[in-house]
Amino acid sequence: MPKWAMVIDLDKCTGCGACSVACKMENNIPIVDPEEARNGRAMVWMDMMTTVEGDYPNTHVKRVPKPCFHCDDPPCTLVCPVGATYRNPEGLVAQIYHRCIGCRYCMAACPFTAKSFNWYDPKWIEGASDVGNPDVSRRMVGVVEKCSFCSHRLQKVKENADIEDRQIRDGEYVPACLESCPADAIVFGDIENRDSDVSRLSRSYRVYRYGEDLGVKPKVYYLARRTGS
Amino acid sequence: MEIKRRDFLKFFGGVSGAVLFGNLDDVIAVPEELLERAKNGPKIETWQNTICGLCPAGCGLRVRLIDGIPVSIKGNPVYPVNRGGLCPLGLNALHSLYHPDRLKGPMKRTGAIGSGKWDSMSWDEALTMVKDRLLDLRNAGKAHEVAFLGNEENGLMKEHIRRFMQVYGSPNYYQFSSAQNNTVPYSLLHGHSTVPAYDILNARLVVSFGANFLEEGYSPIYYTKLYSHHEEQRTRYVQIESRLSLTAGNADQWIPIRPGTYGALALGLAYILIREELYDKGFVRDHSFGFEDRVDSSGTRQVGFKNMVLGNYYPEKVEELTGVPSSTILRLGRELGNTGPALVMGDQGTVDNTNGTFAAMAVHSLNALLGNFEKKGGLFFVDDPPFTKSGVAGIDAIARAGLGQIPIGQPNASTFPVTQFSIESFTRNILDGSPYPISVLFLYGGNPLFQSPNHRELADALRKIPLVISLDTLLNETSEHAHIVLPDHHFMERWDEVSNVGTVGFTHVGIQHPVVSPLYDTKQSGDVFMNLAKRIGGSVARAFQFDSYEHELRNALKGVYLSGTGSIVSEGVGTMWIQYLQQRGWQIGQYDSFDEFWDRLVKQGGWWNPIRKQKRWDQVFQTRSNRFEFFSQKLKEAIDTLVAQQGKTGSAQNRERILNELNISARGDNVFLPHHEPVRYDPDMPLHLITFRVLPVRDGQGASLPMMQEMFGHAIHRHWESWVEIHPETAASYRITDGQWVLVQSTMGTIRARAKTTEGIMPNVIAVPFGLGHTSMGRYAKGHGTNPNVIMKNLYDMVSGKPALQATKVKISPAA
Amino acid sequence: MKSMTPFVKWTVRAGAAAGILIVVVVYLASTSGDIVTQPIRYSHKAHMETAGMTCTDCHASVLTSSSASIPSLEVCSTCHSDQPLSQSAEEVKLLEFVKKEELILWQRVYHVPDHVYFSHRRHVTKAGLECKACHGDVSGFTEPVASQFLPITMENCMQCHRENNVSNDCLTCHR
Repeated sequence: MPKWAMVIDLDKCTGCGACSVACKMENNIPIVDPEEARNGRAMVWMDMMTTVEGDYPNTHVKRVPKPCFHCDDPPCTLVCPVGATYRNPEGLVAQIYHRCIGCRYCMAACPFTAKSFNWYDPKWIEGASDVGNPDVSRRMVGVVEKCSFCSHRLQKVKENADIEDRQIRDGEYVPACLESCPADAIVFGDIENRDSDVSRLSRSYRVYRYGEDLGVKPKVYYLARRTGS
Repeated sequence: MEIKRRDFLKFFGGVSGAVLFGNLDDVIAVPEELLERAKNGPKIETWQNTICGLCPAGCGLRVRLIDGIPVSIKGNPVYPVNRGGLCPLGLNALHSLYHPDRLKGPMKRTGAIGSGKWDSMSWDEALTMVKDRLLDLRNAGKAHEVAFLGNEENGLMKEHIRRFMQVYGSPNYYQFSSAQNNTVPYSLLHGHSTVPAYDILNARLVVSFGANFLEEGYSPIYYTKLYSHHEEQRTRYVQIESRLSLTAGNADQWIPIRPGTYGALALGLAYILIREELYDKGFVRDHSFGFEDRVDSSGTRQVGFKNMVLGNYYPEKVEELTGVPSSTILRLGRELGNTGPALVMGDQGTVDNTNGTFAAMAVHSLNALLGNFEKKGGLFFVDDPPFTKSGVAGIDAIARAGLGQIPIGQPNASTFPVTQFSIESFTRNILDGSPYPISVLFLYGGNPLFQSPNHRELADALRKIPLVISLDTLLNETSEHAHIVLPDHHFMERWDEVSNVGTVGFTHVGIQHPVVSPLYDTKQSGDVFMNLAKRIGGSVARAFQFDSYEHELRNALKGVYLSGTGSIVSEGVGTMWIQYLQQRGWQIGQYDSFDEFWDRLVKQGGWWNPIRKQKRWDQVFQTRSNRFEFFSQKLKEAIDTLVAQQGKTGSAQNRERILNELNISARGDNVFLPHHEPVRYDPDMPLHLITFRVLPVRDGQGASLPMMQEMFGHAIHRHWESWVEIHPETAASYRITDGQWVLVQSTMGTIRARAKTTEGIMPNVIAVPFGLGHTSMGRYAKGHGTNPNVIMKNLYDMVSGKPALQATKVKISPAA
Repeated sequence: MKSMTPFVKWTVRAGAAAGILIVVVVYLASTSGDIVTQPIRYSHKAHMETAGMTCTDCHASVLTSSSASIPSLEVCSTCHSDQPLSQSAEEVKLLEFVKKEELILWQRVYHVPDHVYFSHRRHVTKAGLECKACHGDVSGFTEPVASQFLPITMENCMQCHRENNVSNDCLTCHR
């Protein structure tokens, strides 16, 4: 059974934000009203954490793209009263929208604030064009949503592999953020397969993960910058 | 709330329609025909390649269609410019296709400007109206009273429209922002206006003077791709900029610098290189002009670059001018001289000031000192694509007379000596009706009223023109002034090509083709001009031998096919493929006919040729001396001409007057050498105002898209709004805290935005992102954020006429 | 909309919502109920038994795509172009559509909700399911399909998956 994981190379990443938009378009993530967005309710699955470090003029900016970490020991799934969020056998932490009752316990439990809540129907401000990806369902008001590692793509990839009677190839199943990253900073694949790029990179000396001390075992690995900060 | 028919349709459209087009609660800007197809179609997925048209960077797109309806976009992985990468704006391109405020057919304005009162009309009616006016003017010998102002672009469309203007008889073809302005420093030093490409992939050190190439450059995605290899290549990046931009944030070192002093710092580094003899002596001796002092033909001694630099730009003085410590200057100078190859780039911060041309010359001189031309890890010039050449035929007597008139954008005697256009001169000449009034103005894309600092007068000038015609997909601040709107196709609905994007390191042609048939009653603007030419008839009609722009495009590409060079973009654009091509040296892939070539070209998205012809030095430097001219003979000639026009040639008095009028403070030979011109700021304003462009909105166009508004400042969690970046010390001295509303006041006016305190900006400099603050351009652009350009003083680069976006000083205060 | 006060807005919306609710009820009744009326009384029997056609002749993308596809007018018109091939009054109707190149608004009977990924291709090629396992033996239908043979419910899907030892992990189908 494969186990899907992601590596983000912060040495390559420039923080351009293309991944966030690629994700929003791929997953039909709604645009909220301007007022709500200004109040911090913009919905983004692939978030961007920005910190400015160091004292002027030795200032460094650090931009870190942050999807759901798909923890191997996810705290969010433990608290879900209805089993709407769970860790599947391939290591994906799934969110089944039609089962979600909107209690938002999982949001509180997630140490990485990776989840967002649909406070409204998926209304793209009045008149917004709403042509979207037919492979991803739109969430209704009152459910929690988050990065799925583009699991809808896995469904298709699996189907192709099954029909051709073979294993999924390394690099065949990739999320949308990876696909459009102009810096090729994101690597994705089966971490159980030691020959895969993701597995190789996850053993790099530069690797770190957020929340390792929490014991949640995130499956998003970061490669630290070698210079600067 | 009325229940729209479409809502019903969607409701009963059942699952498939709903999946494609979402929920019940909104009004959709998707034609019903598409909705029907989405509902009943067999769900056949196809992919089509095209080129993004949302900015001039020319990235390849791969559009996913279900039953012919575009549903998502990714980068075209085989297109060499972006190799699958895309910026946030490009990824959001579908929302511009389905924008609810798109222009849906020809219209004429019936109310006041900005009233939004328009009557729709038929294409025939509209074109007849325009044709009648054009024909009347032409018959009355007033063809030159027609002007064209388009968005910056190159390639076939530019040639196409320029040809129309020529055969019609008007010398007034212009673009804004103008490559004419932007390339002045290069043309002074190299003798030609080609923007060089930078081989940052093979450089060991890249020093950028304000060039925010990951965010604001000609092709940010291309440079992001190159940048992402910096670690394998062990490239060190140093960014010199007043603000910690995206590029500075990714650099190994950020060196903050006072706005308007980039040139001084470059010369300070030149001082170290010369003083410590770290420069490329062979290159300077063999391929440069004006480095050493010399005696000219008339026997006068001319000061060379070397002594000018050694005499004026010693580190302590440069520190005083720039705010960069002399120890840093010394260290960086030595690093430049001792690291090979070391590459120097200058843009945005360097050029966006009244002294921009001289500053850019100074920065670029470092490349000459380092001998960086035409070498690995240096900079080079890309060959033009081998298009079929189509000359302009059939300029009749009327056209000749019109073309003989002084162009309307021509700067007057005492401004901008080496350029034929500035938005400033264009505006002023129209306002003054001098040398003649403008009767018809075509606006094609672009939004000069929003982008230029001189928007008040430009608006007056637009109001003065009896017939303004806009060709665009959305109404914006500028095109609100139009009397007639001839809506253009969206880029996904049209034929066009995007070739040789500036600073991209190989010859390339990207093909735009209709991925989807036009959603509305629009026309490709190339076809509109063809149609007008046909209607005008005579020699104007004869200049267009094809019946559509598509066929003209095909014909142009025939030259590429026949050249037998390069290759249609395909799998394996990586290094292996280049090596293979280099070994073979000619076109890979055999085509039995042009049609076969064309079909494959359109399918794959473009053509490229990574192999450059080896250039001779007289091709690299097309100056009078056929060398890199530290001492610009072209600039000297231009200023001598201005002086001569004043009467007695060589009169010291006239020269003094001209230099004063040009605001050039240098004297003698220093004028023609790269030097630092002090910027004349308002003395009683304490803070520098600078602006920057962000990827989601770029030149302001992205603000029409709601998702780009939301992502505008997402990295710092600012959405749908502008902000003011202030250094914490500066903020404290004005009692301003992070997030507080701030008034930014110049002598021109006041804007309001919330503060963002950050250590990522120099003290006494404030930065406002450009792009928001629209008063038009659709429902999402209007009324969010603020446009910093409205409080900018009407200042321009003294040589090139480019808007000086960092020349205004301001004061700030907490908003009540 | 902007000019309305929130109260008015919500009142109007509530009214609209009530209206929509009624429509929803009618709508749901129409999908789960028995009778869907089709624009043409299509006979599968006439095509399959009499003319000897197979399912994939018209539902062409069954083997290649997630959707089996409802045939477009072009598919119909490959046989039904100008002269009627039978005595049927329904065929005359069809020929009218063909002549006018008007879209036939077939009513969908088998709705898979948008949060479920279902692929005909996978079920038919990999799992080897016959069409009639879910859709019934339509070759005997003289009337158009009006209701679901095997109702599309999660329980039905999961039961079959259980019996055939196929994963019932949520992410196998949900999206």
